[in-house]
Parts: sequence; structure tokens; C-alpha cells
Amino acid sequence: MRKKETFYRGLTYISGALVFFLVGFLFLYIFFKGYKVINLNFLLDVPQGMVLGQEGGIAPAIIGSFLSTFIACGVAGFFGIFTSIYLVFYEKNQKKIKIIQSIIKCIGGIPSIVFGLFGYTLFTIYFGFGKSIISGGLTLGVMIFPVVEIRIEKSLREIDENILKASYSMGVSKFYTIYKIGIPYCLKEIMASILLGYNYAIGATAPIMFCMAVINSPIAFDIKKPAMSLSYHLYTLMTQGISMKMAYGTAFILLALIVVVTIIFQILLRKRDE
Amino acid sequence: MDWKKLDKFFECFTKGVTFFSFFILSFIIIFIVKESLSLFKEIGVIDFIFGKRWYPSSYSNPAMGIFNIILATIYISILSIVIAFPVGLGCSIFLSCVLKEKTKNILKPYIDILAGIPSVIYGFLGLIIVVKFFEILGRPSGESVLSGGIVLSIMVLPFMIDVCQETMTRIRKKYENSSKSLGISRWYMISELIVPASKKAMIVSIILGLGRALGETMAVMMVIGNAPIFPKLFGKAQTISSLIALEMGMAEVGSVHYSGLFASGLCLMIMILLINFSVEFIKNRYLGDEV
Repeated sequence: MRKKETFYRGLTYISGALVFFLVGFLFLYIFFKGYKVINLNFLLDVPQGMVLGQEGGIAPAIIGSFLSTFIACGVAGFFGIFTSIYLVFYEKNQKKIKIIQSIIKCIGGIPSIVFGLFGYTLFTIYFGFGKSIISGGLTLGVMIFPVVEIRIEKSLREIDENILKASYSMGVSKFYTIYKIGIPYCLKEIMASILLGYNYAIGATAPIMFCMAVINSPIAFDIKKPAMSLSYHLYTLMTQGISMKMAYGTAFILLALIVVVTIIFQILLRKRDE
Repeated sequence: MDWKKLDKFFECFTKGVTFFSFFILSFIIIFIVKESLSLFKEIGVIDFIFGKRWYPSSYSNPAMGIFNIILATIYISILSIVIAFPVGLGCSIFLSCVLKEKTKNILKPYIDILAGIPSVIYGFLGLIIVVKFFEILGRPSGESVLSGGIVLSIMVLPFMIDVCQETMTRIRKKYENSSKSLGISRWYMISELIVPASKKAMIVSIILGLGRALGETMAVMMVIGNAPIFPKLFGKAQTISSLIALEMGMAEVGSVHYSGLFASGLCLMIMILLINFSVEFIKNRYLGDEV
């Protein structure tokens, strides 16, 4: 066998093994270090201890993360669904579609920290929302909007043209066609897109560092107040050296929330392929 | 029910929503440019980009030049690509040519999950594994450009693999039967046919990975040490995104420092936009339907 083939053979097996080892290692490491910390107290209590966070739990962080992510998914889902419906079914001018699509792509490429800057200045300061879940949620919503919109639009464009034409030629109105054919046909993809947005939003730290996240907050559901978030809590626990044990636990919860949703996401998309 | 009216209403409604979101998105860009203008007036674009000192809050001799920081951002991104590329290439071959279709469909989602892990977890693991590892090796501080590059390389891997393996699978399917019937071994086919034919996809994957790496904040910030000095492989450095993340809380709204952070964000945005446009350009111009 020639050298080149041996080289590629080696590279392939080594890196294949390396990547799968890495994936396994990442999960097992967090799992085995983290699961010991998890108990009811950890999930339902506020942070406590000499330095806040050393003991107690992370309940406010879980609530804060969820609330802000729900706001984000709601905002991005609402705008994403209607914008893509308009672009696919109503707008005829190709040039306008191109312009709107390219600005969405453009925003999709902006790094998350720049959204943090934007959200902090606009929502927190100029709009006067202060450091609050609502500012954080809106910032995250703007961040995940391009991801959600692009995916929904793609799935709507994949609807079989013939079904739509048949519906129109029967004299069915456009709204009824979209409502009865378009949306049900793509429902799974739409849900999957929003779930993907959820995944991005719940793990994001940089955008909410300035406009939402604080080190300690009570268990409350008030969206006008600042709140903890899982990702930011993990960051402070780690960088300020508060507690490694708690950091592992927080990382475990955060990862679990993401893995569960990713599995649902994969199932939603797989059903369609079959 | 009057469907015509409802139809008209729905059209107007979606139109309204679309233009509202279009307005918001354009507003983001205009807003960021507007907030950074006062810095460009005060310091000047050239001094800002090529200035080598970053002491925004010094009273006697304030300076705001982000040359070192831009350099470090590019350095660390390229380093991560250099580390990730061979692994990504090998893994793409592994997924597309070695594994059976069924096994691949089971294993591929695991790599996709890698892309969904939040960057703060990568930073966390980077700090307790990569940085610790360098400290055990006897370096005074494990926080360095190299640690950042290693952590980043794991983060960009799934994106690179995604692009490459798709193209490779397509090429393999196209030529597998003919090359098998010619009696060519699998590894000869891989090294002589599949790898050269997917060269363009590799370039796209590299640029795409670069775009990802440039904007990454948390993971890099946690392992790079954050000192705005000239980047060296084993030295500390600071990237644009970590600069913004660290100093935003301290900068007074409306001050030059604040505007400087917006301007750095703008620089980063422009770099990433250029990269994204070049990906589009390469895809449209040279690849056609290959990728």
C-alpha cells in the first residue's frame, strides 16, 4: 500500500476515534462529576453559604433561564412564523425577498456578545426596562430570530407546489390554504426550529451578562426583576472560584436541559424522513 | 365567515410583522454604527485599528488602540482551525466512507449535540482540563492562546465535519460503483478521488469555522487570560469579544470607552460579515450544486 493511502487510513481512524472519544468524555465527565450534587435541595433551594453559591441550590437560576428562554422563543417564534409566511406566500417581488433574507442572514452572523451590547443599551437603558428578565428575554429573542426564521422559511418553501396550486384552483382562499395545509404540513419543522432556538438561548451567556444576569436572586416569577441564569451562574462559580462542586452540578443541569431538547428535536425531524 | 376579508386581514398582518422585524434588524446595525461614531470622531479610524495600546480608563495618557486585540482574535481563530482541520477531515472521511449508512445515522447526532453545547460549558471544561494540563506540565500559567485554540477547535469541529461529510458522501455515492467495478481499493479511492474532489467543500468549511471562531465569547474568555498584549502562542492575550464582555459593565454609557467597545463590536461584525459573504460567494461562484 502506498504512503498516501496509509496516511489517510491512519488519519481517518485516529480522528474518528478521537472525536467520538471527545463526545463521550465530555458527557461522561460532567455526568459523573455532577450527578452526586443533584438532589431535591439543589433543585429547589436558593444559593447559600459564606460566599453565596457555596451551598444551597440553583432554583432561581433554573427559573430565570426558563423564563428568559420562553420569552425569547415566544418572540422569535411569533416573528419567525409570520415573517416566513409572508415571504413565502405573499411577497411576489424577488428583490424585496432577497433584501429581507440577506439582512436576516447578516444578523444571524453577528456574534452573541454584540447582541449583549445592543440589548444592554437599548432595552436596559434607553427603554428603561432595567436589568430584568424581560430585557434578557428580548435580547435572546433577537439573537435566535434569524436561526428560527431561516429554518421555518426553508421548510415552508419545501411544501409540494402542486398541493398549494390544487388548493388555490379549487377557489380556497390563501389564508385557509396556509392554515389548513401550510402550517400542518410543516408543524414538526416549525417546532423543531423553535426548539433549536431554545437550545441557543438557554446556553447563551454573553448576551444576558449585562441586561439580566445577577449573582443572587430570590425565587420569583417577576419578569421586571433581574434574575440568575444557569449559564451565568456557572460562569461566576467557576471564574470566582466559589465552588467546584456546585459548578459541576450546574453544568450537569444545563447540559441535561439541552440534551433532552436536542433528543426531542432529532425525533421530530427523523419522523419526517421516514 | 367572510374568507375574503380574513384573507386580506391576514396578508396585512403578516406584512406588518415582516416589516416590523425587518425594521428591528436594520435598526440593530444602524444602532451599533451610531453608537461607535463618537469614538471614530474622537480618535480616528486608523488610530483605533492600528493603535497598540488599550488603556481606556487611564487619566494621564488614555489610549484606545485595538491592534493587538484584533491580531489575537485572528490568531486564535486560525490556530483553532489549524488544530481542527485534520481531525475534521479524518472524521468526515470516517463518517462518509468507512461507516455503514445505518451506523452513521446513529452516530452523526452525537456530533450534532457537540454543536449544541453552550460555550460556557466548553470554557468550564477548558479551564479545569486544558488549563490545568498546561499547569501540570510546568508552565506558570495555563491560560494562553494555545489553550484558547484547543478549546475553540473542539467547538468548530461539528460545523466543519457537517459541511465536509455531506459533500464526501455525495461524491462517494456517485463514484462508488464504478470504482468498485474497476477493482480499486477503498483507500485508493479515498485518497485519489474523494479527498481531491471535496477540496472546495473543505475551503468552505474552513471559512465557516473561522467565522464561528471569531465571534466566540465565553469559552475563549475563560481560558485566554485576558491581557491586551501582543499575542504569543504560550502567552496571554485578549480577543475582541472577551474585551467587550469584560469591560462593558465598567464603561459609563455615552463615554468614549463605551463607544470604543461598540466600535470593537463593529470591527468584529465587519470581519464576520466579510467571511460570511465570501462563503456565499464561493458557494455560488465555484461550487454550484456540489456543496
